[in-house]
Amino acid sequence: MKNVYDVIVIGAGPAGMASALTAREKGSSVLIIEREDRPGGILNQCIHDGFGLVKFNEKLTGPEYADRYVRWIDEAGIEILTSTFLLELIKDEDEFRMKLVSAEKGVFSLRGKAVVVSTGCRERSDRQIFIHGDRPAGIFTAGQAQAFINRMGYMPGRRAVILGSGDIGLIMARRLTLEGAEVEGVYEIQSRPSGLQRNISQCLNDFSIPLHLGRTVSRVIGKGRIEAVEVVSVDERMNPVKGTEAIVPCDCLILSVGLIPEIDILKDLPVVKDGKTGGIVTDDRMESPQVPGLFSCGNAHHVYDLVDYVSESGEIAGSAASEFAREAAI
Amino acid sequence: MNKLKKVTKELAKLGLGGDVQASEFRKSVRLTGHVGSWDEKVAAGFAAANRGYKGVLNDITVEGVGEEKIYRYDPGDRDLEGRYFDVLIIGGGIIGCATARELARYDISIAILEKEEDLAMQTSSRNDGMIHPGFAAHPGSKKAHYNILGNRMYTKWAEELGFELKRPGSLVLFPSRLEKYLVPLMKMRARKNGVDGHYRYISRKKVFEMEPNVTEDQQGAFFLPSAGIISPYKATIAMAENALQNGADVFLNCFVESFEMDGGRIASVRIGRGTVKCGAVINCAGNFADIIAELADDRFFSLHGRKGTECILDRNTGLTQHSILSMPRLIQRKSKTKGGGVVPCIEGNILLGPTAEEQPWREDFSTDRGHFQELLQKLDLNTKLSGSSVITYFSGIRPASWEEDFIIEPSERVANLVHGAAIQSPGVASAPAIAVDLAKMTVDILSKDKTVEEKTGFNPRRTVSYHQIETVEERREMVGKNPLYGNIICRCETISEQEIRDVLRGPIPVNSLDGVKRRIRAGAGRCHGGFCTPKIMEIISDELGIPMVEITRKGDSSPVLSGEAK
Repeated sequence: MKNVYDVIVIGAGPAGMASALTAREKGSSVLIIEREDRPGGILNQCIHDGFGLVKFNEKLTGPEYADRYVRWIDEAGIEILTSTFLLELIKDEDEFRMKLVSAEKGVFSLRGKAVVVSTGCRERSDRQIFIHGDRPAGIFTAGQAQAFINRMGYMPGRRAVILGSGDIGLIMARRLTLEGAEVEGVYEIQSRPSGLQRNISQCLNDFSIPLHLGRTVSRVIGKGRIEAVEVVSVDERMNPVKGTEAIVPCDCLILSVGLIPEIDILKDLPVVKDGKTGGIVTDDRMESPQVPGLFSCGNAHHVYDLVDYVSESGEIAGSAASEFAREAAI
Repeated sequence: MNKLKKVTKELAKLGLGGDVQASEFRKSVRLTGHVGSWDEKVAAGFAAANRGYKGVLNDITVEGVGEEKIYRYDPGDRDLEGRYFDVLIIGGGIIGCATARELARYDISIAILEKEEDLAMQTSSRNDGMIHPGFAAHPGSKKAHYNILGNRMYTKWAEELGFELKRPGSLVLFPSRLEKYLVPLMKMRARKNGVDGHYRYISRKKVFEMEPNVTEDQQGAFFLPSAGIISPYKATIAMAENALQNGADVFLNCFVESFEMDGGRIASVRIGRGTVKCGAVINCAGNFADIIAELADDRFFSLHGRKGTECILDRNTGLTQHSILSMPRLIQRKSKTKGGGVVPCIEGNILLGPTAEEQPWREDFSTDRGHFQELLQKLDLNTKLSGSSVITYFSGIRPASWEEDFIIEPSERVANLVHGAAIQSPGVASAPAIAVDLAKMTVDILSKDKTVEEKTGFNPRRTVSYHQIETVEERREMVGKNPLYGNIICRCETISEQEIRDVLRGPIPVNSLDGVKRRIRAGAGRCHGGFCTPKIMEIISDELGIPMVEITRKGDSSPVLSGEAK
């Protein structure tokens, strides 16, 4: 391993892997940093299919989609540092400097001419959508529930209420049903579902799981473990309508209420945050106008509905990062 | 006029003359009857307070408010059966733990009995962590006395016990020019109470120099430089750990059921885990202190729970503000709360709160939309803050007496019982000073039967077995010692596998997610445990040999998972 690269990619999910491949194809030296113990990002826990329809004209599962890229990365001889955590990222004159840590290497430093931020997103929590009532165990984000079931083999509950009709929520409704749990219903505060139509049809309708539009969870009930939620209808200004409350018994509440680009690592750089997407402002080459050489792609840029487009954004960022590094070298 | 007549007259003034009866019970006044709303009961309680009685026993029942089932968990063992301790401290909050630490200077056996699965589970963790300067308390009150002393003592306690203390000072903002004329009165009050530091009026211009993000409409402020902040639960745990180091014991999941009395003394304390004999008992039971007093047939006060909701903003907000900002409700004479404020926490987050709501329950920590909205209005003081930075919110319950002052005294009826009760705000700030007095009272009791000596070898310094790594340089050094300090588990707060393992090996048993979070901030960041919860559970499972499905969020009744998948 060197300690200077043309392009350093942060995050080995679908965006990061695509950008690394493209940058490598264009002749740059590339390193990928990944905090998990294997590449693939969140795709590793998405064992349902439907990935790759646009890109490969095939129906792949998440791990299958990721595996293609992992193989190409391997064939291209691109280095990946897994189980490695980025502690600090600064720009010093013409290069980026990072401090990283891993159990294997301890704390170490790297320098890169260009950096691609493909750190994905995080899920909005119960607190960020201002759910009130008690604070018992048994409230999960959909991705967390997915990790428990798909990666670890544990059930988050046996009788679920799902709040939010985002795609992961819909997919978890089906997954829980397949695992023998009861799904009491999916509640969506908006008047229309936010997930893909194909997921409404394949994950809810096919399993007779009710979708309640214009209704939300107003209160959580249960001291130790969740026992029930109170649901309520909302008016057009999203305020609860008195008299429409109902108590729905459950032993878990699963939230699919939005994703937020995870870009906290950029806090020491003068990037500009896009108030609408939660990512950073970039030009159409995915580069930050305030921090030349810094590129952002995938869900760290803004939240995409299909992974195929995530990969595409990675290719754009990877290509531009490679060009930037080459110009910087001259 | 006769005191009872006075109380009766006051009740009549409230229109409660027919519904509520006042009678004398020992040295206290007792209210009975039935009213339609909680507010009426509260009004009656205040009307009877400070009329020359030792306390108010407010036993009025309220329409629609039933009995509260108090949480208890019995692990099923009888490990404590027949054991003897010179001192049993009931309640592992900040008062109990601070007192244990003070008593650990003596050559006596001490045990803290805590009903929850960890220390500082209720009021001691559910507050803003402010070390008040001692300005707001009424001159002459116990609150004022202990607050001033406690504030002063924190410098030494924080240093010895290794918990963080900052003194950013408190700015009482003036939203109009009129408040400026109150400055001489404010100074007088600060002088009367004995507030430390150069408290002073700050001009509008200076306010904006100190706090550039404060909203424009502020016309000046009163600055109290001795105001400080700590993490109240870390401090509580640190006090207990130091007590443990010096020979004290902590027993969790110990719900006190009853006392066995013998000739005006408590002979033993019955808990689910056995009957424990004792030399003396200290009642530091927070919201349950009046129940404990009653178990000893020494009920002379009653508590009413005043709920406060607080809200924590993302860590990056901490950079926008240096001092504690509070609102001028501070100077209202009748106010039952200091009005809350915008507090820069020790960990760098900003905290808003607390609200104040009279309500019937002792441990209902639920939050609601209305009080949360009220809290968000405090955002208006700092222009850089917004509701989108909210990470979490919670509520706590202040154990208030009707006199609104601390109760720190030996029992008049039970020879070996000491009360440290009704410790609401500024309880955290006062804790070290309260502890010194409670320990003294207890030693006096024990000294009647035996010689109590200070022990040689008391170590006031806590030796820390775990802590959160703060800097890259420190991490470099620690990874050199153990590679697992380089395996980052909590990405928002940058906490490694080994830091979590160290917590699990700490002196007080921890086996829940919240127990870990309370000691180091694993899972307390912006993703709210979204990513790291499964990993932290795997570490708990591996380190303590607990199956994944038995790991809880906050004790026995709160398992995280419901079982294995197919």
